[in-house]
Amino acid sequence: MIKSEKFQLVENYIVENQNAHYRLAYSYVKNKESALDIIQESIMKALKSIDSLEQIQYLKTWFYRILINTSIDFIHKDKRMVVVEDEILDFHLPSNEMEIPDIDLYEAIDHLAPKQKTLIILRFFEDMKIEDIAITLGENPNTIKTRLYAALRKLRSTMEEKVKA
Amino acid sequence: MSKLNESKKQYNDIEIPSELKQLVNKSIETVKMGQKSKKPSFKRFGIGVAAAASIFVASVNMSPALAQSLSTVPILGSIVQVVSIQEIITEDDTYTADLKVPNVTGLTDKALEKRLNEKYIAENKVLYDGFQKEMEALKEVGGGNLDVVSTYEVVTDTDEILSISRYEANAEGSSFITLRTDTIDKRNEILITLPSLFKDNGYIDTISNYIKSEMSKEMEADETITYWIASEEEIGFESIRPDQTFSITADHKLIISFDKYEVAPGSMGVITFEIPTDVIKEELMSDYYIK
Repeated sequence: MIKSEKFQLVENYIVENQNAHYRLAYSYVKNKESALDIIQESIMKALKSIDSLEQIQYLKTWFYRILINTSIDFIHKDKRMVVVEDEILDFHLPSNEMEIPDIDLYEAIDHLAPKQKTLIILRFFEDMKIEDIAITLGENPNTIKTRLYAALRKLRSTMEEKVKA
Repeated sequence: MSKLNESKKQYNDIEIPSELKQLVNKSIETVKMGQKSKKPSFKRFGIGVAAAASIFVASVNMSPALAQSLSTVPILGSIVQVVSIQEIITEDDTYTADLKVPNVTGLTDKALEKRLNEKYIAENKVLYDGFQKEMEALKEVGGGNLDVVSTYEVVTDTDEILSISRYEANAEGSSFITLRTDTIDKRNEILITLPSLFKDNGYIDTISNYIKSEMSKEMEADETITYWIASEEEIGFESIRPDQTFSITADHKLIISFDKYEVAPGSMGVITFEIPTDVIKEELMSDYYIK
């Protein structure tokens, strides 16, 4: 395939899936402007590094990797937002202050660390296969499985705590 | 897990802003344009900025006398004029540069005229280059706001004196303002400098002491006012520079100016002090300019 054809395919993919990409970006930063910034930067990065996409069947996982990395970088760079790992936060706060009044799984997912959140979103909201998530994140499938279960356990315990409270 | 399905619905309900489509198309276009462009330095900005940049470079390279004047400030009783060469560059609301360059015409001393105008153009060129560099850096990290403004004001304009102040504001999160003023003796066609007004360097201490006592007075009178004055414990304003920014008012009073952040917190902005002529009477060379 010549480069211009590849570019066209990537371009079509980006245009067709822009809403899904936006939702993913938004789920990290929770505000419109930042999510739009992430989309813009991801598109630029992707199109400029189109040579790094070696096989076209990996188009989706390749683009998601760029999108996820850009989102996570954005959270780290954005000084207004302080990301604290849940374990650290749990340690520092009395347990009742961590709780959200509504028993809402969606909010609980939001409170996961960015990497755990990524797994939940890709697997359950984006219906991505474990193998594809593994390719996207550059890990082996077994690692992804283990981490996914850990994330689910974390969610379950958060939910249970809330039910008790 | 039905709860997961509910959450998935919530996820899918994330509102898609109307700007998204345009932003996606624009981002793709920008990359496409960049790949076609022959000029590597403008590659990442797309053709819009490249074109705007070349217009600006063209206008600064143009002879000031030929430059198209967008506004004219006529000066009564004199043929000395200040006109604007203006160029505005805007890109997607996030990055703006609005540079307004003054241009003095009508002096018979063409060397002085040329020197002034070339200086004004050079100042704006530096600002513009800095703007471009910063824009590039910001794009690299994927965002931010950049807003560069330069403008000028004819602060005094009498038969004898013309004072032009140039302001530069660079608002990237917080704004920074610098102020430079040139004062011209229109009759004799001389560019007046601060040292040239005085017999010797004694004026530096006299004016500095006066300003420090005024600062203390103002701070005592009003709690919301803060100046940074140097003391044994603190770093701050000690003395004016020999070529501190100054202007002369229409009623022949000397005004000393400080840039934003130079002697006070940013909230105080650009600070000016009118120096009573009595304070500097002994030091003045003559009462020709300052009375």
